[in-house]
Amino acid sequence: MHETNWGLLIVVYLFLGGLSAGLFFASGLANYLKVDDKPAYARVARMGALLAPWPVAIGSGLLILDLGNWYRFYKLFMHFRWESPMSIGSWLLTVFTVIAFLYLYSWLKEDERTWIFSKIPASWKLVHRLNVDISSWRETLGMIGFPFSIGVGIYTGVLLGAVSSRPFWNTNLVAQMFLFSALSSGAAALLLAMVLDKKNPIEKHETKFLVTLDVVFISLELFIILPYLIHGELSTQAVKQALDLILGGPFTFIFWGPFLFLGLLVPLAIEVYELFPAIFKGREFHGSRNLALAAASLVLIGGFLLRYIFVYAGQMSSFHSKMGLLQ
Amino acid sequence: MAMKKKRYALVIDSRKCLNCKACVVACKAENKVPVGHFRNRINEERKGEYPTLSINFEPEQCHHCDEPSCVRVCPTGASWQRKDGIVLVNYDECIGCRYCMIACPYDARYFNEEEGVVDKCTFCVQRVDKGEVPACVETCPSKVRVFGDLEDPKSRIRELLATRRYKVKEPQTGNGPQLYYLL
Repeated sequence: MHETNWGLLIVVYLFLGGLSAGLFFASGLANYLKVDDKPAYARVARMGALLAPWPVAIGSGLLILDLGNWYRFYKLFMHFRWESPMSIGSWLLTVFTVIAFLYLYSWLKEDERTWIFSKIPASWKLVHRLNVDISSWRETLGMIGFPFSIGVGIYTGVLLGAVSSRPFWNTNLVAQMFLFSALSSGAAALLLAMVLDKKNPIEKHETKFLVTLDVVFISLELFIILPYLIHGELSTQAVKQALDLILGGPFTFIFWGPFLFLGLLVPLAIEVYELFPAIFKGREFHGSRNLALAAASLVLIGGFLLRYIFVYAGQMSSFHSKMGLLQ
Repeated sequence: MAMKKKRYALVIDSRKCLNCKACVVACKAENKVPVGHFRNRINEERKGEYPTLSINFEPEQCHHCDEPSCVRVCPTGASWQRKDGIVLVNYDECIGCRYCMIACPYDARYFNEEEGVVDKCTFCVQRVDKGEVPACVETCPSKVRVFGDLEDPKSRIRELLATRRYKVKEPQTGNGPQLYYLL
């Protein structure tokens, strides 16, 4: 009988992987945008760099724990199978994590580096040789990391979308949906972290940058979810039946209520409300702290719920005609 | 010596099926399938109510597809296919990610929690390689199942497929299933 093979650990991992991708992307972009040859959002870039590697590192750990034989995970790296999204993904994830940690390192201040290396026994001379300033690599690392962050963000969707036997996933829109959701979660997490960091209060232009980024990504995500629904309803019977899971089936409420309304439309409305006067009326951006907090938290919840719904509903969808054991 | 190409497949005449489940039991005994798991099953379908009633039994197991999606998605190559079409799991390479179980359109695989690996019908390779037929085929009292080599023009399975109408399940998934159900 049909059972759920992938559970909450996979949901959390897909969310965390996407989050890292989004954080890195936002940080790289913040570092890339320049005013008078100086990064316009250097503090945003630094915060993003400091946060980016951790979620994906934790997520990869969870992924390994979810395996039937966790200690065999190294076998993933003994093979490269280009036909298997998981094989491509595990390589992509590893390279991205390394780049993200290097990028983090390049953003550390002198005293932070000294502090870290003071914790390492002085006799480990080889390790202490790594105590070098690579801040000049920031832009290069950001540039190299861009495609990998997009790759990781899109891979979490491809992992599901490439499974031809699950009509709920197997459309050409799931990968992009996950990508934009990942990028918007990253921008939202960055906004949340900057607002909560009371030592270095966030400045208005930084809030505006992150809110703008998030509005763009949420809108793109919406523009993918709508055709996903409409196109699905115009598709073959198996796809229509799969969509019934969120159109009347067990995932209907969580999709339309907590995910689409609370996790997508409400934060979009808040952020547009914040941005509108600044963009169209020429007034100053007010940048309310509480509204930013609310919007960012909701986006993160929405990002998690999207993965929850897709992982569980997708596994319930099938081409298999419904024959079972007689009661 | 040139080996002759082989392609094993199974023809199922489900109208003969009594739902006695001898095949399920024979498979469990032959392959030492752990408690709570099965490598084959009999789907049951009831249409209507008495007196206008029909009940349909349909044995099912791994379809040993031509383009098996389980093999395609496997990240370590643990799921693999022999040249004669039989899809197997290399237990030493399986990391237990269960991606193949999700990719299989027929729910033909199960997760062996004890070993942490995925397992499935093997067409009883240990018997087939000795020239015998799978346990489920041998045991079936009403001769529902015909196992054979599609490349062998004189085989019973070729004769059946040439002379009878048949269907395969969910061909639209593109897996090329090799369980043929006679109509």
